[in-house]
Amino acid sequence: MNLLKRLTWKNWLVVWATLLIVVYPLIGASSYMKHLFILFFVWSVVASNWNLLMGYAGITSLGNIGFMAIGGYTSGILAKTFGLSPWLTIPIGGVASGLLVTLFLGLPALRLSGIYIALLSLIFADSLPSILTQTREITGGAMGLHEIPGFIPGMEKIHAYYICFAFFVLVHFLIHRTIISNTGLAFVALRDSENLATTVGVNRFKERIKVFALSSFFTGLAGGFYVHSLGDISPTTLSIEPFLLGITMMELGGIGTFAGPILGSAVIVFGNEFLRLAGTLRLALLGALICATILFFPGGIMQLIDQAEKLMRTLIRKRISREN
Amino acid sequence: MIEIETQLQGQTVAKGKPMLAVEVIDGYYGELHVLHQVSLRVQPGEIVALFGPNGHGKSTLLKTICGLHQASSGAILFGGQEITRLPSHKIVELGISYIPEERHLFTDMTVMENLNMGAYNLRARKSRNRNLEFVFSIFPRLAERKEQMCSTLSGGESRMVAIARGLMSEPTLVLVDEPSIGLSPGLVAVVFESIEKINRERGITILLVEQEIRHALGMAQRIYLMKKGRILFERYASQVDVAEIEKAYF
Amino acid sequence: MDSLLNAIASGLISGSLYAAMALGLTIIYGVSRVFNFGHGIVAVMGGYFVWSLMQQAGVGLLPSILVSLLVMYLIGFLVFRYSINPLLKKPGWEISTVLFMLGAGILLENVLLQVYGPRVKSIPLFVQGSVKMGPVQINWHELILMGVVVIGILALNLFFKSTRTGQAMRSVSQSIPGAKVVGIDIERIFGLTFGLAFAVTGFSGILLGTKYYLNPHIGWEWMVKGFVIVAFGGLGSTLGAIYAAVILGVVEAIATLYLGAIWVWPIWFTMFLILLLLRPQGILGGRM
Repeated sequence: MNLLKRLTWKNWLVVWATLLIVVYPLIGASSYMKHLFILFFVWSVVASNWNLLMGYAGITSLGNIGFMAIGGYTSGILAKTFGLSPWLTIPIGGVASGLLVTLFLGLPALRLSGIYIALLSLIFADSLPSILTQTREITGGAMGLHEIPGFIPGMEKIHAYYICFAFFVLVHFLIHRTIISNTGLAFVALRDSENLATTVGVNRFKERIKVFALSSFFTGLAGGFYVHSLGDISPTTLSIEPFLLGITMMELGGIGTFAGPILGSAVIVFGNEFLRLAGTLRLALLGALICATILFFPGGIMQLIDQAEKLMRTLIRKRISREN
Repeated sequence: MIEIETQLQGQTVAKGKPMLAVEVIDGYYGELHVLHQVSLRVQPGEIVALFGPNGHGKSTLLKTICGLHQASSGAILFGGQEITRLPSHKIVELGISYIPEERHLFTDMTVMENLNMGAYNLRARKSRNRNLEFVFSIFPRLAERKEQMCSTLSGGESRMVAIARGLMSEPTLVLVDEPSIGLSPGLVAVVFESIEKINRERGITILLVEQEIRHALGMAQRIYLMKKGRILFERYASQVDVAEIEKAYF
Repeated sequence: MDSLLNAIASGLISGSLYAAMALGLTIIYGVSRVFNFGHGIVAVMGGYFVWSLMQQAGVGLLPSILVSLLVMYLIGFLVFRYSINPLLKKPGWEISTVLFMLGAGILLENVLLQVYGPRVKSIPLFVQGSVKMGPVQINWHELILMGVVVIGILALNLFFKSTRTGQAMRSVSQSIPGAKVVGIDIERIFGLTFGLAFAVTGFSGILLGTKYYLNPHIGWEWMVKGFVIVAFGGLGSTLGAIYAAVILGVVEAIATLYLGAIWVWPIWFTMFLILLLLRPQGILGGRM
């Protein structure tokens, strides 16, 4: 009974949302909606891990879509060409992403300052498409990989739905634990005041490697879940649009918050239809959205929710005091 | 136009508008309350010394006066004009010059270039040559090192450049933050001598933060003691001695 | 041997154009520590304005360039005043300015795409014909471009050394507290710097537009090249950027000659990585 009393309205919202998501396919969700939800599960993992790197650890990283691609391609190739089970190849993809990123970005990041990391990550992500084209035989080049096997033989959308949902829940649970742990505090401390943090004993090197490794590993896993749910991947995942979408998810939702990227990716994935209406101006709209959000709503949707909550509380309090 | 009488131990210090009046200001660094209801007066032509333990707000006070930091409440008046919310470049134009403890020299420029930058504000441009002459007369060593890069200067020399650059802005009030810190005894004497000359020959008013109590006490007319962001007391320099001040630190 | 010399000459020319392009980035970063992730589109805009004025309004080359520079200057100043300045005053500006300029760059790129269409435009060559110096053959046009860049760099240098505003910019790039203490209005200098940098970048876009072509997407390619050059030369160092541009330009030409164009980018990237490992701050990293 005590536990129930301590739950806030936000907690209740999460409980109901989770129940709905679990039940939805069983009460007749369309194939298209299941598809969107799968995209939402996968993309919010990408966004949340990107947010861990940028929002919590304060590292300007522009290459996270690349982490996803590495994980996805590795898993897809191993499963399709070598017939290994996705349950094996997905973790391998995650490790591949984690290793490559820690090697090429994490290590240099130890010696470089913020803007250099941003540049390096941009160039890193920018060079992946040409590597893919050069290794045409394995990766399918510009055409990409298709007919990638699913998680289980004879897989249907509903299986992918639940598997990705489980992944979504697990990763976010782990991220939440990381944020409230000492490691999470260390990330934020390094972001806010590096000098002070190192003085009180935070090991800058260890924590930087940690955040890169964690973030890229999970994003690589997300890539794996992506390819085995949808069956395809191509260099278009590395184009400017997914990159902008990822950034918008974080900014719109509220960078540096836990729920922000989740909300943001929900808005983007389910609101994609509206984007499609804009036709050729799609990218311009995204760019404008990013600019407007940063200038006027830097805290994103979470900031709006917090402000709305405060407003409600003040109104309720005034009402109560008036009635007395 | 407010006529202020500064009462000190029952005696009137000076009638007339103070040059600088800090009135009950509070200052914060984020959530940290560093200045508590601080009030201070400096009369024209005076040398006023500000003593107190390190990290207790003295530098913050100077920075707040010259616009590098904002007071959260209270007022600062210079020559009767309110400067509390003015940006730093406007305050320099009005005639206040701040010489920071960290110096903040332009390290990729020569001594001469730094001095020229000191005369950036339009009022100072006109008197640039006169001020250069004056500055080189106080610090002959700088004249020798005119074309040297500031990054290659010794600690004492860069301190001199900082003071000299501060003078180039044609100030009427100079805020000096621990000018003698880290210097050898010989250089300490040179620095204090130069401050005295500036006050005597040019009539420039000085507000001096110092840890070198004996020297500063010898030069000043009045002193303040600041502890934990508050002004503890105000005295005539002639009516207090080093031991008393040091005792107050603890 | 002949082809090598020609390649080197060609590399020097493209190097000088890259230098022009990298300067705008370096100037903004050096003074304000903001990295302009919309740099590419600024360059392309400058070129498009000249094209518009010439093709659609029939204005001559020189007046078009002058008007374009003025417009770019104003845009830079306004962008700073109404978007970057507010962001700088809040915490986390390193990330917010990067993302904002990225978003703005994409927005502008697609707006330009709508206005001008995807087909490439080019600005007509200044002069035709070429000159032969020994074994090396260079177009008059390219020689003029290089000359213009050299003059431009010298003019900028004079500006930074001798004018009050230029000196103020240098001061701000070296010490913001120092600049405040001598009475410099930091915000105003930032604004002027953005204006100047946008004008310089727009100008480089015009030059590149005469040698190559204009298209909203090519800005991205120029920009990423500019990033590598600026980081290679040392962020904030104008001289470093110039050296880096020339070195990388010559490397590009030689690599294209002996290995083919697709090898240029991997070679640049490898050089970049090696330099960052050995000397993270770039060739002349540090100040302007």
